[in-house]
Amino acid sequence: MVINWIGLNTIIRREMSRLMRVPIQAFVAPWISALLFIFIFGSVVGGRISQIGGHRYLEFVLPGIVMLNVVNAAFLQSTSQVYFARFLHYVEETLVSPLSYAEMIIGVLVPVVVRSVVTALGILAIAALFGASSVRGIGEFIFWIVGVSIVFGLLGNIIGLWAKNFEQLTIFNVFLIAPLSFVGGVFNTVDMLPGWLHWMAWANPFFYFINGLRHSMIGFTEAPEALGIGVTFALAAIMFAIVLRLYSTGYGLRE
Amino acid sequence: MTPALSISHLRKVYKSGTVAVDDLSLDIAPGDFFGFLGPNGAGKSTTIHCVTGIATITSGTVEVFGIDAVKNYREARRHIGLSPQEFNVDTFASCVQILDWMGGYFGMGRAERKQRADMLIEKFDLTAHAKKQFRELSGGLKRRVVLARALIHDPSLLILDEPTAGVDVELRRDLWRYLQELNAEGKTILLTSHYLEEVERLCRTIAVVARGRVAQIGPKHDFFTEPGGLEQAYLRASGAAPELIAAGDH
Repeated sequence: MVINWIGLNTIIRREMSRLMRVPIQAFVAPWISALLFIFIFGSVVGGRISQIGGHRYLEFVLPGIVMLNVVNAAFLQSTSQVYFARFLHYVEETLVSPLSYAEMIIGVLVPVVVRSVVTALGILAIAALFGASSVRGIGEFIFWIVGVSIVFGLLGNIIGLWAKNFEQLTIFNVFLIAPLSFVGGVFNTVDMLPGWLHWMAWANPFFYFINGLRHSMIGFTEAPEALGIGVTFALAAIMFAIVLRLYSTGYGLRE
Repeated sequence: MTPALSISHLRKVYKSGTVAVDDLSLDIAPGDFFGFLGPNGAGKSTTIHCVTGIATITSGTVEVFGIDAVKNYREARRHIGLSPQEFNVDTFASCVQILDWMGGYFGMGRAERKQRADMLIEKFDLTAHAKKQFRELSGGLKRRVVLARALIHDPSLLILDEPTAGVDVELRRDLWRYLQELNAEGKTILLTSHYLEEVERLCRTIAVVARGRVAQIGPKHDFFTEPGGLEQAYLRASGAAPELIAAGDH
């Protein structure tokens, strides 16, 4: 099948144009939120907590703060793109065009990755002001930011297709993503949890995302790297297959 | 000769169970100006949505210049330009962006997109509004943008779903003239409208749809040979109440 590169590039340009209409919401808001986290954990709480694995507490929590914001950026960008295109019906422009389903999905994912990467880099720049911005493995760091944003971009695509109203868009964020990400090891190691809760950490994919990013930034890890990478690839592959199936059947898109 | 559009035994049933189109078949010859008439809810827009990919087809086949519009949808869609009844546009985008993006979806290069967009913006008298957001435009201007968008990739088959609904007389006349020019250049046009005068003036072939089926189809003059002309033929074919048909006779 011949790839419609210009068509794909056009979807990306359109979504980047939409993204740049709301720079405060897309970028400034998460940076301010991260700044507050960094200030509290760096200057207020951090000074009273002993080191974890030989690292200052701020250095320990920073990867979690970055990951929380990457997950949010990816999910919100994706749900917003897909849902608004349906809500305003301009998704029909792409449905009547010679675009493949894969091109439509990738066209949604690229702006998701861009927003996530810019958000992460901004937080690193803020953390640098507090002397806590270190990246030991740049390739590994990029893998975790891009990989996780793809996973949540695809999940957001599914929710964007499924949602019938604005409230449904927020349900997953409030009841699933936020709780799982907070208990996924942002602020603590697995060892700090009561023993009977350890299994919950191991079963939580956020734990692997945060742990992987933490390893790339400060070298601290609580789980085998290969396991986390495998979980990320598996989730991305499963989600992509689901989204492709939904597009090809027209779920949420076609009448 | 391969029809520009061939619909065979098309059926569309919505999830709710509503049968919107029921065993609808028709062929449109290349170069024809085809009027697609019917009362509200007859299945005109749903048929168009099935042809263009906005709706899934429950059963039946659709071919565009001999290309299967489901199995080979990407190739089939290259030939179609659609101006829908409802505005399906990113309302925060400008007229220029809307045309540029649509050209991009169809794989047109930057220079070609710009040239076509500039030509259409001038043709539809949109120059003064080219950089305004779609939501800032009046109803008539919005309609022009959507029509220009349908033409950006120079399609061979133009599908216009009530293109003159809500536009002023001047634009309507301009549009008629432009559509006649396009048809004279060889483009096939499928037009739905509730203005019988419009259909009478523009179309060479007419189909009347009622309850999801083609009730009557044929050359325009067939409709005028019937007593009461097109309006009476339309009312009879669409299954209007007898007293309504009788009222039209007086």
